[in-house]
Amino acid sequence: MTYRCRKVENCFAEARTYEYELPVTGQELLAFLKGWEIRENHRFRRPVFSAKQGPLEIKGILAAHVVKVNYPADRWEEEKERLERWLEQTEQEM
Amino acid sequence: MNNYEQPIYMNNAATSWPKAPGVAEAAAEALRRIPGEANRGGVTDFDVFEEVRKELAELMGVDCPFQIALGCNSTWGLNQAIFGYPLNPGDTVLSTNAEHNAVLRPLHVLMQRGIKVVTLSADAAGRVPVPEWEQVLKYCRPKLCILTHASNVTGAVNDIAALAKAAKESGADVLLDISQTLGCIPVKLSEWGVDLAAFTGHKYLLGPQGTGGVYVREGLCLRPHMVGGTGVKSDLKEMPEEMPLHLEAGTGNEPSYHGLLAALRWSREHPREPGEMERKAGRLSEGLRKLGCRVIVPGGVSTPVISFVIPGISSADAADILTGSYDIILRTGLHCAPEIMESIGMQGGTLRLSLSRFTTDDEVEQVLCAVRDVVESGV
Repeated sequence: MTYRCRKVENCFAEARTYEYELPVTGQELLAFLKGWEIRENHRFRRPVFSAKQGPLEIKGILAAHVVKVNYPADRWEEEKERLERWLEQTEQEM
Repeated sequence: MNNYEQPIYMNNAATSWPKAPGVAEAAAEALRRIPGEANRGGVTDFDVFEEVRKELAELMGVDCPFQIALGCNSTWGLNQAIFGYPLNPGDTVLSTNAEHNAVLRPLHVLMQRGIKVVTLSADAAGRVPVPEWEQVLKYCRPKLCILTHASNVTGAVNDIAALAKAAKESGADVLLDISQTLGCIPVKLSEWGVDLAAFTGHKYLLGPQGTGGVYVREGLCLRPHMVGGTGVKSDLKEMPEEMPLHLEAGTGNEPSYHGLLAALRWSREHPREPGEMERKAGRLSEGLRKLGCRVIVPGGVSTPVISFVIPGISSADAADILTGSYDIILRTGLHCAPEIMESIGMQGGTLRLSLSRFTTDDEVEQVLCAVRDVVESGV
């Protein structure tokens, strides 16, 4: 899966949040997240989801192509590499 | 009625949107026209900076427009004032924990240079308490007092008449940050005895970003924080002594100042209906409280800024939903004023909604409906 990634800043110097623009929607992404703890909320005007696995959290709008990923502050580089490798490999399964 | 095609913009304490009618056109037209004369113009030259100074002087309640130096923003003005003010190691500056980083970070630099900085805590509403201020003035004997007119986090407006009077009586000069108030509530610098004031053009003045500066009382001389070309008196080694040239090095942002002038004139010709913005802010604040949100209620005079948290939901998550699912543009976090969070008991930051004169009743109701959805969902 190809993606575009950009860091999202907030008020905290230790923030490790990144946005990913994916070729699939959040809803479609969920099908690939086997073993993740997934929550959907359809109450909102645009329904949202969150997916957790260990310290990683992916969240976004179900119908949108952009998702946000919060990485743990202590080993964010390792986790980021792991997730991005997984995204790249997931493309072969599509 | 908003039919969901337009975002609801409630981040006016950061920067206003929409801008006043005519601002975009004035800035664009300035880019198309032959530029001004860079301080060399004769009687027929239209000097946009001079015109802006005249409008600002009236709004600020000062007599001499030439005591207003124009730069790129309020941070520029604050840096000019804080680093240009004649302070020496051992001198004391009194400030508050309600200040923006545009004050806090320069003060941190001053401390590293041997200046003593005393910080007074705001109360739980984010307001500087007058009795404590008077008390601290007695023992710390500051040379300069620096404070904001209104908190950019809670909207609480400080009693500058009383605070500046006390500071002056103790022998200190006063630098006031009017970024959050100029164009929103009355500002009376001369009447209050304020010596220096930093302002911005892009918040409640409804002008473009890249405008702002500093007012300096006549008789007070700042050391220029930036030096360079002034277009005139180029044979001098140092910056010209007279204001505003003394502080205005480099080419000014003429297109944006044309935009600001358009905004200032439009606002003068179309004064906002008294109490309307405050009524809407009050309705929003009350509605949020009824939904179970923890809202900072400043009481007394305040700007249309509402800080709140939704119990049990992180502000970042709530903001993601309000923006992503409902197109509500707001601000979350520390709002560049990290130290006030302790006073208001919100160390993790807040969600902040800030209205403008263009905010509608329907937008207020839509925001309340969206927050209700977030509260009820528990996310």
